[in-house]
Amino acid sequence: MIKYHPSKQLMQKHILGELPAGLSVAIAAHIELCDKCSNEFELLEVQQASATFDAPCEEKESFEFESMIDDITKLSMYDQLVSQEPEVFEYQDKRVQLPRAIAALKLGSFMNAGKVSRARFELDEGPLRSSLLHIKPGGEIPEHTHTGFELTLLLDGTFEDESGQYVPGDFIMLDGRHNHSPRTKDGCLCFTLVDNALHFNKGLSKLLNPIGKLIY
Amino acid sequence: MVSLEQSRDCRIQKGKNVGMQETPSEQLTQALINVATHADKKAYAYLFSYFAPKIKRFGIKQFGSEAMAMELVQDTMTSVWRKAKLYHPEKGAATTWVYTIMRNASFDALRKIKSNREDNLSEEIWPLFHDEQVCEKSFKDHLQSNQLKEKIKSLPAPQRDVVVGVYFEDMTQEQLAQHLGIPVGTVKSRLRLALKKLKVELGEQHD
Repeated sequence: MIKYHPSKQLMQKHILGELPAGLSVAIAAHIELCDKCSNEFELLEVQQASATFDAPCEEKESFEFESMIDDITKLSMYDQLVSQEPEVFEYQDKRVQLPRAIAALKLGSFMNAGKVSRARFELDEGPLRSSLLHIKPGGEIPEHTHTGFELTLLLDGTFEDESGQYVPGDFIMLDGRHNHSPRTKDGCLCFTLVDNALHFNKGLSKLLNPIGKLIY
Repeated sequence: MVSLEQSRDCRIQKGKNVGMQETPSEQLTQALINVATHADKKAYAYLFSYFAPKIKRFGIKQFGSEAMAMELVQDTMTSVWRKAKLYHPEKGAATTWVYTIMRNASFDALRKIKSNREDNLSEEIWPLFHDEQVCEKSFKDHLQSNQLKEKIKSLPAPQRDVVVGVYFEDMTQEQLAQHLGIPVGTVKSRLRLALKKLKVELGEQHD
């Protein structure tokens, strides 16, 4: 069962469309996987729609509005929709159906370091990096903390860290207060979003900087 | 996490008074249906006069600029007109539908400012339509060949949008460029690439 969900605060900013793309993509993907959050999203959106449109507006129709109506109603209307086939992603001989918002993103090529492979999504959000990460069975990432935050949305397989085991759909948001060293027994696929370099804590792991750079 | 209990109180319900003025939820929904069925300009003007000033207010809050807020009004209300036929009243009130369109347009505009990207991701993040069946049907009507349908679906999203716009929605390349927020030249080059790809793929299969 999915145990980790986006906070209410994040959900509300998501509904307002104010979050960076990588974060909203992750929340949308979680919503696709989590019935509870899907219901909550719908309720909150209805609530936000009425908060936005119920309050009366002092400004009445302006001159600009008149001509806008004329121009718009000259346009033709759509009457068809295109169906969207779910995208299947293959890794380690497994086939996974990617959530729609993630499947829509442009993915760069994979880089490998040991059992960890990472490809970056081309979102151009400066210090915010969104990636697709997969780890082979038995792989782990050395203990680290975060100077900013690290979001992991597990898409397939399982992994565990000091807090327990995670299942697909879990939305795991960590910040500078958390240390963790995730490892996977049977391999896993994750969407990750990191907003600043990871900080590796232990002596030997400091030599593992390639992994730090790789997963950032 | 908000409990369901809490949120349910705030759902738009018929006759629910929010304290200031009663939301004419039913009239708005009916007007949207009239726009969809008869391209009713009066009904559209009613929707416009209700929503436009509020979209502008939302836009000023989001962008801090009156010019950008007016662009948001233009983008949102254009989509309301053009997509009206795709609205399903059983799936929610007109206000929620218009809100989704507005928030999506606002997100795409913010993304353009912050990352200089015009990828219109909003439709993938907050799809307006979940009803795959509607989509399936329109394809069956238009495409004899399932094979071609599959091929079009497997095109990269930017190319697919252009092919569908030009061949299935009868849009001109200029309209499509405006709709997708990309230059006409890009529409042309994407179309060329897509057709080339389709020809190769179908050709290979027929050999």
